[in-house]
Amino acid sequence: MRYIPIYFSLFLLSACYQTESTMTDSLIYCAAKAPKSFNPQISHDVATLDATTHQLYNRLVKVDPISQRFSADIASHWEVNDAKTEYTFYLRKDINFHHTAYFKPSRQLNADDIIFSFKRMLSQDHPFYSINNAINNELYNRPFSGLVGDIIKIDQYTLRFLLNKPNATLLANLAAHYAVIHSQEYGQQLLLAGHPEKIDYSPIGTGPYQFKSITNNRVIRYQAHRTPWQAPANINNLIFDITPNSSKRYAKLLSGECDIMTNPASSQVDQISKNPKVALSSKPTGNISLIALNSKKAPFNDVAIRHALSEAIDLKTILSAVFFETAMSTQNLLPDHSWAYNPRISKATYTPQESLVELKKNHFDFSRTIRILAPAKNSIFNPNFYKTAELIQANWAEIGVKSVIVLLNATELNQVLSHGDYDIYLTGKNPYIKDPDNLFRPLLSCNASPLEGNTSQWCDAQVQSLLDTTLLEVNFIQRVKNYYQLQEYIQAQRIYQPIAHMLRFDVFNKYISNLQVNSLTGINFQFVKKGNVINKEETQ
Amino acid sequence: MVNFLLRRVYLLCITALILTVIAFSLEHWTVHTQIEGNILTHYLDYLVSIGQGDFGLSITNNEPIFRTGLVAFASTLELCLFAFLIASVIGIPLGVFAGLERNNGLDYTIMSIALIGLALPVFWVAIIFTVLPNAIGWMMPIDGNISPLFEVPVVTGFLFIDSLLVTEQYQFDAFINHMAHIILPSSVLAIFLISEIIRLTRHAITMVMKSNYIKAALTKGLTRRQIVFRHVLKNALPPIIYQLRLQISTIISFSMAIEIVFSYQGAGMWLFASIQQEDYLVLPSAILIISGFILIKSILIDLLLVIISPIKRKSLYADQ
Repeated sequence: MRYIPIYFSLFLLSACYQTESTMTDSLIYCAAKAPKSFNPQISHDVATLDATTHQLYNRLVKVDPISQRFSADIASHWEVNDAKTEYTFYLRKDINFHHTAYFKPSRQLNADDIIFSFKRMLSQDHPFYSINNAINNELYNRPFSGLVGDIIKIDQYTLRFLLNKPNATLLANLAAHYAVIHSQEYGQQLLLAGHPEKIDYSPIGTGPYQFKSITNNRVIRYQAHRTPWQAPANINNLIFDITPNSSKRYAKLLSGECDIMTNPASSQVDQISKNPKVALSSKPTGNISLIALNSKKAPFNDVAIRHALSEAIDLKTILSAVFFETAMSTQNLLPDHSWAYNPRISKATYTPQESLVELKKNHFDFSRTIRILAPAKNSIFNPNFYKTAELIQANWAEIGVKSVIVLLNATELNQVLSHGDYDIYLTGKNPYIKDPDNLFRPLLSCNASPLEGNTSQWCDAQVQSLLDTTLLEVNFIQRVKNYYQLQEYIQAQRIYQPIAHMLRFDVFNKYISNLQVNSLTGINFQFVKKGNVINKEETQ
Repeated sequence: MVNFLLRRVYLLCITALILTVIAFSLEHWTVHTQIEGNILTHYLDYLVSIGQGDFGLSITNNEPIFRTGLVAFASTLELCLFAFLIASVIGIPLGVFAGLERNNGLDYTIMSIALIGLALPVFWVAIIFTVLPNAIGWMMPIDGNISPLFEVPVVTGFLFIDSLLVTEQYQFDAFINHMAHIILPSSVLAIFLISEIIRLTRHAITMVMKSNYIKAALTKGLTRRQIVFRHVLKNALPPIIYQLRLQISTIISFSMAIEIVFSYQGAGMWLFASIQQEDYLVLPSAILIISGFILIKSILIDLLLVIISPIKRKSLYADQ
């Protein structure tokens, strides 16, 4: 009995508990996954990009979120020579690296740091070239490593990129997530200490936040850059709370344990959008879910059959049954926010009876069984490959076309793709940089293997020439025209059947403002402001 | 007394040896890499290293498993103790009322509630408790032990104590935050415990109330209140403690399941995360840490009973 007052006083004490959201200098972001490393040069998953690109680092140039044009970041300005093969960058002179418990920089950023960072991707002689398997990232970095011949230091704050041949995508590459700038001095310190691997796990950059700690792969702490060269961050303590369960992330957001959460469950999106206390941000990403039609193999080597069979697929049902509301229906490989997006391409419609007529007209062999190939493991491109395949199978069965679903794991899948032993393949593509070439080339180029993305096994001179000439083209209007033409050609030939562009969702409490989300480079907390929760509630 | 202790320690050694064989087998089949020598020498090497507190390093963070395990287990213990506190405060009075009013309406009501508490699966109640606070508009944390805003260094492993050691930095905010985080998981655990304590207390009180010395006290003219506080409670306590001793391993298992639902960073989450990350060396270490605790605890409870109960003291001289 005498313990009852103690127990109740404990409960009363817990009433003093204020939700975390009342602390305006700290922000908790509930992420879904822990980053694989703290260097977007070697890890390219969304969790890593969110935790690193905009928080810890800067790039030479960036994409302005409003105008979508390239703007200065570490480089104050740049020049291009007449032959378009040399880009000269002039660096800002006031950029400080992070000052942390494990690294105390003795100098500010200069051209050596830029060369150090890029050469890791370019030169096998670089001491960090093979550290932490950086060498395996060639596939991701190839757009960059293939176009730059050398980088020359002109003086402490000027450097020149020498291209192998004129290429319009250099700036897009320099604004990509993997073009972040590291400290050469820190790299040398780690080499001397015998722990070069730490460069990717105890990061030093120039971004608005500096790394503080990671606990049990569950909590990542950052603090505002002590000597920032940009506008200082409004938030002093930035915390990533890794919460893999989406329902729990949402519950934590509502209870004030998180200020912002990412990636709500698709089934929750509708409920969240109706909740007046939170705001839902949905951003179309470049990630596209698509059906590749194997153009090397009968019957899909016939353009009429490709049209007929793809128009017998009810994409609307697939979108609502498989993707719920987490994707945006599309007819185009490019997302509608891309500068090269062609809104006037012809639309494929669901017309099964017309498809049947067309198949008969083209002497389609109805006794043939079509192999629908799909990965066994669902991915960011498709929340349920099997269900998608089943819906396609059902659609085709309605017009008398037989099909079989083959689900394979990654190793077997690679073998089948290499041998071309499939009719259609459910897949997707995620571009890394803000240039259409990065999407089209792997999907359509004769030089790209099915493992690199060309799962339609497409190769024709017209597409190849369009791709190559557009890459070298420096006139922006002409590039747009070329890509318009390419998109019309893809649609006419029905090389791929796009299903949907995936959306990225972030949910935040209403007192959060200025949150920026870039679908290619991740979330940006630099300008985030956190209003006073209590005052806001009182005034409502 | 010495004989009593020796006998207990002897029993403990045999059980511990069997446990090390189980742990070694697990370790041998999952992560063992030693090639030279035979299985017996491997086992002896294993015994030597665990004797030195060297359980190996985790493959995920390169930290010593023994230390991580102890810290995680301390969190679990804290959760159990807090739940036990809640359960005692609620369960003992209810059990006393039920025992005193046996076969009355109050007894039936209390026992029905206890039965419901026993019948509800713990993990299900835990999931309900993660949703419930928000549904009724009560802002309670449902994830973790403490908000990541507070950086509390591990000193004792018991977060209540560690959070009090950082009052200079956070005042009592960290302590209160931890308190708020522990309330929901411990309440779920307490539901099971309350049912158990009510049942045990009711039974013990009924047995004591039937004894002759209570009848004597009644004839002496003592009031019911005096009888209950002076005689009944004191004599009913030892059998309750003795029975609860057997429940401790169940309570720890339940708390580990609850931890996973609430992402409470204790032994349950530690094991769960290790299995997910394929860090199998943790499994044998966890067996040794948890079962080692249960063994030591049973000896300590025996000693406690001997100290507080004259009847149990007889077992001290059983060999004479």
